[in-house]
Amino acid sequence: MKSLVTGASGFLGRAVVERLLAHGAREIRCFVRPSSDLTGLEELRWRYPQAQVEYVAGNLTSPEDAQRAVEGVETIYHLAAGMKGLPASLFFDTVVASMHLLDAIQDRVRRVVLVSSVGVYGTSYVDTEELIDENTQLDPHPEKRNAYFHAKIWQERLFQEQADKGKLNLVTVRPGVLYGKGTPGVGLPSRMGLVIGNFLLMLGGKNVVPLSHVVNCAEATVIAGLSPDAAGKSFNVVDDDLPTAKEYLRGYKKQVKRIPTVKLAYPMAMMLSQMVEKYHRRTHGQIPAVLTPYETSAMCKGHRFDNRNIKKLGWKQIVPTNEAMRETFAYLKASQNGHPS
Amino acid sequence: MTLRVAIVGCGKTADMHVSGIQRLGMAEIVGVCDTEPLMARQLAARYQLENTYSDFGQLLDIQRPDIVHIATPPQWHYSLAMQALDSCCHVLVEKPLALDYGEARQLVEEAEKRGRKLTVGYSYYFDPVARMLRNLVAQGVMGEPVHLESFFGYNLQGAFGTSIMADGNHWVRKLPGKLFQNLLDHLLNEITEFLTDEEPLVQAHSWQGAPRLSEHQPELPDELRVTVIGERTSAFAVFSSHARPVQHYLKFYGTKNTAHLDFDCSTITLDRQSKLPGVLGRLEGPFTQSWEHMRQGGKNVFRFLKSDYHFFTGFNYLLQRFYESVQNDSAVPISYREMLRTSALVDEVVRQVRGRERVVA
Repeated sequence: MKSLVTGASGFLGRAVVERLLAHGAREIRCFVRPSSDLTGLEELRWRYPQAQVEYVAGNLTSPEDAQRAVEGVETIYHLAAGMKGLPASLFFDTVVASMHLLDAIQDRVRRVVLVSSVGVYGTSYVDTEELIDENTQLDPHPEKRNAYFHAKIWQERLFQEQADKGKLNLVTVRPGVLYGKGTPGVGLPSRMGLVIGNFLLMLGGKNVVPLSHVVNCAEATVIAGLSPDAAGKSFNVVDDDLPTAKEYLRGYKKQVKRIPTVKLAYPMAMMLSQMVEKYHRRTHGQIPAVLTPYETSAMCKGHRFDNRNIKKLGWKQIVPTNEAMRETFAYLKASQNGHPS
Repeated sequence: MTLRVAIVGCGKTADMHVSGIQRLGMAEIVGVCDTEPLMARQLAARYQLENTYSDFGQLLDIQRPDIVHIATPPQWHYSLAMQALDSCCHVLVEKPLALDYGEARQLVEEAEKRGRKLTVGYSYYFDPVARMLRNLVAQGVMGEPVHLESFFGYNLQGAFGTSIMADGNHWVRKLPGKLFQNLLDHLLNEITEFLTDEEPLVQAHSWQGAPRLSEHQPELPDELRVTVIGERTSAFAVFSSHARPVQHYLKFYGTKNTAHLDFDCSTITLDRQSKLPGVLGRLEGPFTQSWEHMRQGGKNVFRFLKSDYHFFTGFNYLLQRFYESVQNDSAVPISYREMLRTSALVDEVVRQVRGRERVVA
C-alpha cells in the first residue's frame, strides 16, 4: 500500500514520513520541489533500509506533475501549501495546486488526509467561553483573513465539495501552531502578535497558544490516515498542557533571546487594529493592513481548541509540552548563533 | 464618464491594477478574467468585484469594456492585446509590452489603425523621482546627459524568486530572455529616454550566479551587465540578483550636475560642483550631500503625512494619465516611440545573452 506525502521535505512533511515509517509503512512516495533540501529524508531512508522511500520532484501547480505524483498510490497525505508571498501567489500555490491534485486523484485513491489548520474556523463569531471543536463552522469570509488562511479556507472548501459529492474519502487534520526542532521563522507565533523589526507587539497575553509539536502533529496525521474510524471526519490537533502567550514568551526570553515587547490586552489590540485598518483604507494602502479587527478577533480573542476527537482515535501526545518547548527554544538559540543541530 | 474596465490575468500583479483603479475613482471594473476560474474568483472576492470569466472573448462580448488591462505572463500579451484592440478597447499591457520588437510594433500599428490608446505598465517611469529628474532636465539644471548608470537589484530569495528557482517549468524560464526579460524594461526604459540615438552600440554579458538545482535543469542567468554607447551619451545597466542590499537606482551624469535617483526610498539628490575654492570646497562636499538627503527625507515624511508615499505611486500616476488620455482623446502618457525603442533595446540584449551564458557553480 503506497502512500504519497506532498510537501514531504518540509517541516511537518519530514515528520509525517518518519511517523509513517514508524507505523510500519513500507512504500512511501515523497513529492518534493526540485529545489527541496532532501537531507532529512535521506536520513530516514538510511534509518529504515527495509522501506521503499521514493522521490517525485515537481510542482502541483502543474497538472502533469500532479498526475505523476498520484500514480499508483492509495493514501495521500496532502501537506504542500504556499507559505509566503502575495495573496494571489499563495492562493495559486495552495488552492490551484490542490485542485490539480484533486483532478489527478479522481476515484483512484483510498483516502486523502488534508492537513489544514485550526485557523480556518470562523472564530470571530464565537465567544471565548465556547471550546472550538470540529463542528465549528469554517470562516464564512476568507477574504477578510490574512493571505495564508484565506488560501487554507478555500482549500478546505474545495476538498469538502469533492467529499460531499462522494468523490473522496476525506479526513481533515487541523493542527495548531507547529513548533519543534527545525521550526521555521523566529519562533514567535503570529497568534501572539506582530514581530516588527526587533520588537514584539503582543496581542492578548493571557491567551493560550494552540501549539502542536511537529512530531505530535505528524503522529495525529498518520493515525488519521490509517484509522478506519476517521473516514469523513475532521480533527483538531493541539497538544495538552499548553502555555499562555505570556508564559511562552517568558520561556523564549529566558532561553532564546531578549526581545523588547509592548503588551496590549485584547480590547486595546482591537482598538489598534481598527485604527490600522482605518488608516490603511483612508490612505489607500500606504501601509499594509497588518492588523484588522476581523483577523485580530479571529486569532487573539482567546479561543481554546478541543482535541478530544483525535484522542478518541488513539492519538497520544508523544512529546510532552514542556519538553517540546525546551527543544524548540534550544533549536532557536542554536540557529540564532548559526549552529542549528 | 465612468470608464468600464476589464482585467485579464488574476495573478499577483492584478492586485496592483485593481487597487489602482479603485483608488482613482474614474472607472468601474466590469469583469475579471483568468483561464483558471478559481483565480478570477479569489480576486473578485477580495475586492468585492462582480463578473468573473475564464473566456476572454466572452468577457469582451458581454461587458464591452472601454479599457482592458492585461496582467498575464508576457507570453500572452500580444494575442490578448490584439483581441482587445479588435474589440475596439483601449489597452494597458503589463511590461514587457510583447515578447519582441516585432510584436510590439504590430500592437502599436494596430492601436493607431483603430484609433485606440495603448500603453505599457512601466511602473517606475512616472515614479515621483523620475518625474522630478524630467523636470530638472527640462529646466536645464542638469545640462546635457553624458552618461547614465541604471541598477536594478532582484531578490531570488523572495516569494516570487523562490518559485522561479524551484520550478523548472515556471513561465519566467520560458521567456526568450528568461528572468531578465520580465524585468529588463524597468532597467532600460530609464536609459532610452535620455539616449537620442536610434541604434546605439550595445554590449551585453550575463551569467548565472546561483547554483543550478541539478545538471538537468536549464540554466537561469541572474546577473547581467549592459553597455550602451550612443553618439553623445553612454550608459551602463546592471541587473543583479546577488548584490546586497537589493537596490534600484539611476545615476544621471549631466554636463552641469549629477543626479542620483533612489527608487526604493524615493529620493533624488544632486552632486553639485562646490563654489568654494580648494580645500574649502572639498570640506563642504559631504555637508551639502547630507543636506540634500535631509531635505529629501523631510519631503518624504511630508508626502507620507499627505498619504502620498505609496510603493505604486508611479503606476497610479500612469493609470490616471492613461485614463485621461482615453477620456480626452489626448496623447498617451508614454510615447509609442519610447515604448518601441525600449523594446528594441531589450531585443538586442536578449539576442546577445542567449546562447552564450556563463555558468558559475
